[in-house]
Amino acid sequence: MSDAAFHLVDVSKRFGDIEAVRELDLEVPQGEFFSIIGPSGCGKTTTLRMLAGFEDPTTGTIFVGGRDVTNVRPYHRSVNTVFQSYALFPHLDVWENVAFGLREARRPREEIRTRVTETIALVRLEGREHARPSQLSGGQQQRVALARALVNRPDVLLLDEPLGALDLKLRAELQNQLKDLHRAVGVTFCYVTHDQGEAFSMSDRVAVMNGGVLEQVGHPEEVYRRPQTAFVADFVGASNRLPGRIGEVTGAGRYTVVIDGVGERPASGPDGLVAGAQTVLVIRPEELRLTPGAAAAGGIAAHVVDVAFLGAQRTVRLDSPHLGALVATAGAGTDPPRSGDQVAVDWDDRHSWTVPS
Amino acid sequence: MLPTGIVTLACFLAPLALILVYSFGSENLVSFNVNFGWTTANYTAFGSSLYLDTLLRSVALSVGTTLACAVLGLTLAYFISRQGLRTQRLLLAAVIIPFWTSFIVRTYSWVDILQNDGPLDRLAHAIGLVGSGSHIDLLYTPASIGIGMVYSYLPLMILPIYVSLERIDPAIYNAGADLGATPWRQFRRIVLPLAKPGLIAGSIIVGVPAMGEFVIPEILGGGKTLMVGNIIANQFQETGNYPFGSALAVALMVAMIVVLFILRRAQSSAVVV
Amino acid sequence: MNIRRHPISALLSAVVIAFLWLPLVAVIIGSFDSNSLLTGWSGATGHWYSQALSDHNVRSGFETTLIIAVLSALLSLVVAVSGGLWWRSAPARARAFYDGLVFARIVVPEVVFASALFFLFLKVHFALGLPAIVVGHAVLNSAYSTLIIQARLMGLDPALEEAAADLGATPWRTFRRVTLITLMPAIIAAGLLAFTFSLDDVVTSFFLQGTSQSPLPIVLLGMIRFRITPEINAVGVFVMFLTVGLMSLAVTTLTTVGRLGRAGRRNRMLSLYQG
Repeated sequence: MSDAAFHLVDVSKRFGDIEAVRELDLEVPQGEFFSIIGPSGCGKTTTLRMLAGFEDPTTGTIFVGGRDVTNVRPYHRSVNTVFQSYALFPHLDVWENVAFGLREARRPREEIRTRVTETIALVRLEGREHARPSQLSGGQQQRVALARALVNRPDVLLLDEPLGALDLKLRAELQNQLKDLHRAVGVTFCYVTHDQGEAFSMSDRVAVMNGGVLEQVGHPEEVYRRPQTAFVADFVGASNRLPGRIGEVTGAGRYTVVIDGVGERPASGPDGLVAGAQTVLVIRPEELRLTPGAAAAGGIAAHVVDVAFLGAQRTVRLDSPHLGALVATAGAGTDPPRSGDQVAVDWDDRHSWTVPS
Repeated sequence: MLPTGIVTLACFLAPLALILVYSFGSENLVSFNVNFGWTTANYTAFGSSLYLDTLLRSVALSVGTTLACAVLGLTLAYFISRQGLRTQRLLLAAVIIPFWTSFIVRTYSWVDILQNDGPLDRLAHAIGLVGSGSHIDLLYTPASIGIGMVYSYLPLMILPIYVSLERIDPAIYNAGADLGATPWRQFRRIVLPLAKPGLIAGSIIVGVPAMGEFVIPEILGGGKTLMVGNIIANQFQETGNYPFGSALAVALMVAMIVVLFILRRAQSSAVVV
Repeated sequence: MNIRRHPISALLSAVVIAFLWLPLVAVIIGSFDSNSLLTGWSGATGHWYSQALSDHNVRSGFETTLIIAVLSALLSLVVAVSGGLWWRSAPARARAFYDGLVFARIVVPEVVFASALFFLFLKVHFALGLPAIVVGHAVLNSAYSTLIIQARLMGLDPALEEAAADLGATPWRTFRRVTLITLMPAIIAAGLLAFTFSLDDVVTSFFLQGTSQSPLPIVLLGMIRFRITPEINAVGVFVMFLTVGLMSLAVTTLTTVGRLGRAGRRNRMLSLYQG
């Protein structure tokens, strides 16, 4: 526990009849860039607000920096938040916004001056110290919010969809800045977003929540390649989902899956599935191989419905008499498939993954 | 455009200009003829202790009313602004409806409440605040005028403060707590500065008319404790000393213009969010 | 945030709201008290209401008040609408002057204004009495009416009038069928506001009434000088419900219009050349 930045033990939160968070157990080590993702209403924001102290858990215990803070008011927690709306103080300029927490902590004047200067430099807002929040662009406001929280050197920095209000290009830019900033300050980040791409690109680990329940925690690639549930498989990126059932268990986490319209194929999956269990075979678009021409006997035929050019790659929408609608990606090579082409579809069994449906 | 011109110029600016001119005139007390002439005697007459007391009382009552309204108004306006939308509407109605009821009615009702043997007196006896045989003796004192004025003007303070607080992102208060501010410090460093434009606007529409209040001291002052407004009325309605009444009225207006000027400067320096 | 987290401010707020309602409750209870001296509760009766209604002084006071309120509200509207339309296209300096006059009428202490107008009427030998009161009320209340009309005029899309002109409407027809109709809810609300303020006025009426019949608030003021009776409370409750009803109507008119605003305007444009 000593090296955990924060630790939630069996935390639940009810709002009347609604169980926003159910029996959540989560431990995040110090210095990690941790993200919680999930659709709106999944309990991720409630979890963040409980960490900040804006909501009290109905049951369970919250530790921050090894200390039980379950009943500690927000203003006595060593946790700071970057709010979705930034919540900058409109009556204070950039400098005073950043200095707010240090003044509340009654730090010496000289220390406040150095730390505020440093942090403003860190988020590259030198020269804007005396601007009011209303005079700043969205990206600048976001950086003030970041500086205002980071200057206090919290045990955990909570970020509540801080890029949600920005346009796409700016978001990509700020994702990189956030990552660099995390590396520079070494503070534990807990980042909440509904955008899995954003979380994957920045995080050491991600947690996927759904309906108040933690579905899976792991490295982004692990969550992407080896989702534990059908929800996670679906939420963390486009996938082809082929319904079927477990044929036989061939080893630890190794199965054969009987797919309607295709037959029996080997696949990996989470431990503990039993023969006959209803499953979904998950194949990522980039794992789907397309071969021009008609399918061989026993192969899977499909025809190209549409090809969308996305720059580095193309997204190919297919329709298969066996499997229905499919999605594949094709490189931006010189000879892309065209609408109406007949293709044979296949995949490498080493990359296929099955989850209970 | 013609009716607007007549009403605003001939019936508003002209009479004010008239009393300005007459405030420098003098009156022959025998013939009741008003003589023009540039004398400042009417203004220096304020110095006599009779009027000076009343002037000071008026200032004290209007300043006190404004401060009391500011404290009570800020408390209620802040509380209302933090409620859900439905509760906000309900509470606003609870503030505004009393304000809509007849001014005379809601003012004289305080006579009932404040008089000896009235509800407040009985309450004071019940909790032992006042011994048997004596009374609270509140009615027809400056205190009862003050209560009536705070009561009448309070909604005028609550509404502008509410307006300046209502549009604040509620996350601002969480941000304060998040950065280590206790509830009291959140109030001092966030709520108060954000409420400032509303507080100043409220002070203008409370403090300025309160200074010239005439009916409330009539009803709750019982003829004993009078304010400047009553003296002015007296000069015009009974004594017939128009130049002196004019001088008082002009002085009241000048005082108000000064106060307004100061408050408006303060307002423009406050952040408008 | 909830009451649980703000126990102190919730308690203070409850006290303030109780303070605001206390006198109203006292008046309502007092109007049913069968003890005519109001020295202690001795049972409920509706007697005072019938007595108040048959009191000659109260009745003629009320009639006078109504006449004054209707006339001064109409005059306020004429001032506010014609002034507002002029203001819309006036040069900036003239607009600022006009706005200053509106603000001044709201903040100048009524006692100063009323004595000044009283003095002016005296000087120009304009008879005190009902017409004087009507003018006095209109001077003050037209300021509030103007604020409402101006707010609506600012929200009026100039493209609407251009569209009407484009569709062949003469300036007069454009004014009648577009401008005035769009302004109508604001006109109703502004009129109701001026009417209610006039019903409630004491100071201006007091100075300008001369020897004519006093309006109701002045009658009440005279009655309470003597002694507060359940009958006065009954009149008070009656006036209270009247003003609350009228003000609610004014506010509802304004908010309903705010909500219907856009859709309504479009429909009105469509019906422009159908009727």
